[in-house]
Amino acid sequence: MAKETSTAPTTTVNFITWIKDNLPVVIVTIFSIILFIMIGFEGGPPQLLNVIVTGCMWALLATGLALVFGVMNIPHFAHGESFMVGAYIAYFTFTPLNKIFLATGSKFLIYLGPFLAIIAAGLAGSVLGIIIEKLVFAPLRHRTKEGWIMNAFLLTVGMSFVLTNGTTLAMGPNFRGIPRYFDVPSVEIMGAFIAVDRIVAAIISLVTIGLLWFFLRWTKLGRAIRAVSQDETGAQLVGINLDFIQTFTFSLATGMAAISGASLLFMFQAYPTVGLTPLYFAWYVVMLVGLGNVAGAIVGGFLVALLQSGTQLFIGLSWQSVVPTAIMVLVLMLAPSGIFGSEVKGVQEQ
Amino acid sequence: MNSTPTIEAKGTIWQKFVSLLNKIGFSPLGFVLLIILALLPNFYPFSQEYIVRWMIMGAFLAAQSVAFDFTAGYINIVNFGFAALLGVGAYTSGILANTTPFLLYAPGLNPWLTIWLGALMAALVGFLLGILTLRLRGIFAAVMAWFVGIALMGLVNNLTDLTRGPLGMNPVKFIETPNNLPYFYIILSMMIVIYITLKLVVGSNIGLAFKAIGQNPDAARASGINPTKYLVFNFTLSAFFAGLLGGFYAHFFGSLTPSTLMHTSKTVEVLAIAYIGGRGSLWGGITIAFPFVFFIEFLRSNLSSLPGLHLVIYGVLMIMIMIYYPSGFSGFYYWAVVKIKGLLNKTK
Amino acid sequence: MLELKNLDSGYDFLQVLWEVSFTVEQGEFVALIGPNGAGKSTTLRTIAGLIKPKGGDILFNGESIKAKAPHLISRMGISYVSEALNLFTDMSVKENLLLGAYAVKEKETQLKTLDYVFELFPRLQERKDQLAGTMSGGERKMLAIARGMMSNPTLMLVDEPSLGLQPNLTYAVFEALLKLRKQGVTILLVEQNVNATLDITDRAYILEQGKIVMSGPSHEMKANDHVRNAYLGI
Repeated sequence: MAKETSTAPTTTVNFITWIKDNLPVVIVTIFSIILFIMIGFEGGPPQLLNVIVTGCMWALLATGLALVFGVMNIPHFAHGESFMVGAYIAYFTFTPLNKIFLATGSKFLIYLGPFLAIIAAGLAGSVLGIIIEKLVFAPLRHRTKEGWIMNAFLLTVGMSFVLTNGTTLAMGPNFRGIPRYFDVPSVEIMGAFIAVDRIVAAIISLVTIGLLWFFLRWTKLGRAIRAVSQDETGAQLVGINLDFIQTFTFSLATGMAAISGASLLFMFQAYPTVGLTPLYFAWYVVMLVGLGNVAGAIVGGFLVALLQSGTQLFIGLSWQSVVPTAIMVLVLMLAPSGIFGSEVKGVQEQ
Repeated sequence: MNSTPTIEAKGTIWQKFVSLLNKIGFSPLGFVLLIILALLPNFYPFSQEYIVRWMIMGAFLAAQSVAFDFTAGYINIVNFGFAALLGVGAYTSGILANTTPFLLYAPGLNPWLTIWLGALMAALVGFLLGILTLRLRGIFAAVMAWFVGIALMGLVNNLTDLTRGPLGMNPVKFIETPNNLPYFYIILSMMIVIYITLKLVVGSNIGLAFKAIGQNPDAARASGINPTKYLVFNFTLSAFFAGLLGGFYAHFFGSLTPSTLMHTSKTVEVLAIAYIGGRGSLWGGITIAFPFVFFIEFLRSNLSSLPGLHLVIYGVLMIMIMIYYPSGFSGFYYWAVVKIKGLLNKTK
Repeated sequence: MLELKNLDSGYDFLQVLWEVSFTVEQGEFVALIGPNGAGKSTTLRTIAGLIKPKGGDILFNGESIKAKAPHLISRMGISYVSEALNLFTDMSVKENLLLGAYAVKEKETQLKTLDYVFELFPRLQERKDQLAGTMSGGERKMLAIARGMMSNPTLMLVDEPSLGLQPNLTYAVFEALLKLRKQGVTILLVEQNVNATLDITDRAYILEQGKIVMSGPSHEMKANDHVRNAYLGI
């Protein structure tokens, strides 16, 4: 074996070149900090807490979206419908359970109810994900991979259509909501009162994202999922079953969206088209940070929450649908692959 | 022996006629079907008002799918803000026809004029959208158009002085008549004009450039096609006709709300029709739209206890087509024509 | 061990291989040589299951594998080191190697193989935490071969390992292949560097325009006029 002198990579980072290389990230970071401070002055702690809670919400949804795109190259337009299904499942689990638990009078059971509902929603969402993947994407994948991204996108559009209207058919257009999960007074944080439900929802988001992160980083299956997202052929060559990984990933993302729909039931009542707003914001996040960038989606979730809050405070609530478009236009014109510039295989060609 | 020349002469006239039809995008069969379609509402049972109304809906949807397919089927960009462009045309026309803010002496302009102004407004928005999506492809372009569409809907919702926002506005009608038949002929002629215009464009060199750009923008650029020009032209023209159709909608229904006209789900309806009809054919959507509207309205009126069933069927059909038969109805038609010709040749 | 029977293969409308037949016996080191575009890579990709054959059959230890999915073929003990390498560029060297042993159930076997591979390629051990995408071309080649070994394959298909490498690195890669062979691994090698290949292999097949035109022991091939003219430039 030819010996070569090993040159350890120099650890000193040239700060200025680093800034140059990551200019969009630096600008966005500075901008976010300024915006955060401005919101702090204008809206005070309640507004800042609101940003954090909303950020958790969008982050969880956007992570699922980014995962599905990164691993399967599916631009998932029906992600909001997974959210919707989660909300329905949680409603139909929580309402009867709560009745029973209230009757028992046991504090423990009463506080357990919401969590059971959310877990049930997550499980149901995962099962739904498996069914959809096997029924819709697997057949298309086996027929042709040509023009996959656009075809998959249109398929999810069709799915969204079927799921929303199917729900209308089965449930009617009625709104089904709950006033709150936990019947306890609001908590005071930094002089701001915040409902326990919101805190719990934020924590559930963070825990779910954390678990996902751990799973992807440290388990064999998680590693295989990342492998598929980086090189499908390579993954097959080392013996990874693509079909299984793809079904699993889709199920995971659907389950996560369902969890988020369930944990926000107190805010978004369950009705057939409830998913559209969350979908819109999740897409906003992933387009901003770059499609398929899972880590970016987490940061992006908070960024979007910040922007939302800023729009509300400084421009006016009624412009809330116009501002994101303006920002998207800017980002797509200046950095089409998102501010964190993720390169996802196959995107540029299609 | 003497009769042969006359037959030949007849043949040439027939051939000339057929080639003329082909030029404007009709096969003889299609032409006959169109004439039947045009005459149909004069005969019972199709002359009943509610059926004429269905046919209007069918022609409206068909015309939309033609304008939509002009972008999706040729330059391969799914304009996800299509319904919003329709709304721009509808609101512009409706506002001008009702209030005329700039011409104080008149109560409003004639709707026959304003629909063209609406179309021009939509074309302008389409032009801008074309510029925005220039550098983007596939999913990026689709999402960009989607966001722009949502922003437009948001604008219409917020400019309450002009549009009355979510409350909706009531534009004047083209003609005050209890009869739907005139409207049928208005939308039918719109549909035919849109179809022939776009078919002529697509049949020319411009159409070739569209296809080249749709398949591979870089290769197209390398072979001397300027994608910018064609892309923007395509968006503008498609948006112009979308705006025109929006104007029809405004002055036919006499009521406009952002969510019934500009919502993403409306784009999806058009998209479904265009895809089931077959991408890149323009006529596929027309053939599918009429039976579809009939089927759906039939379901809706007979199964009113099941709201949304027709839309579920829509979606399922679209999914099935996308997975198993992506060339849609027009693809099936061409396939069948080749098969039948092959069989005829064999028997000869 | 590996037997190709009248294999036809190629892409949608383009047939590349025409009735290709050859065998590789247990423990052999066989070369597949031919000009650019002859179908060498297509042959390997077809064996690995990445392309479905149009006709003929592929037998591995007597079992037909032509209809099997790539991951199942890999799990049967065939490891394909592709020309494009197909590394997981955003993962560390160690993660790439561990993924190579994805199908190996026992953690202990995994670690043992990892140690062995590190012993074989000390360079990889030095860089085990570096991202695969940031390594040099030669290191990537080694990583790809090492990853291919991680599943403890009985047959390795190696595609153009010397492509784009400096001579001394090429030498190192070949040396690694010889070591592997000593371990009892059967190797089917596709190479442009015909001279060196014929030196280290037992037998060689020559593939031209999708057909096997010649075969024989490597040292005999080296003396053959056609080979000398076409490939060795003598």
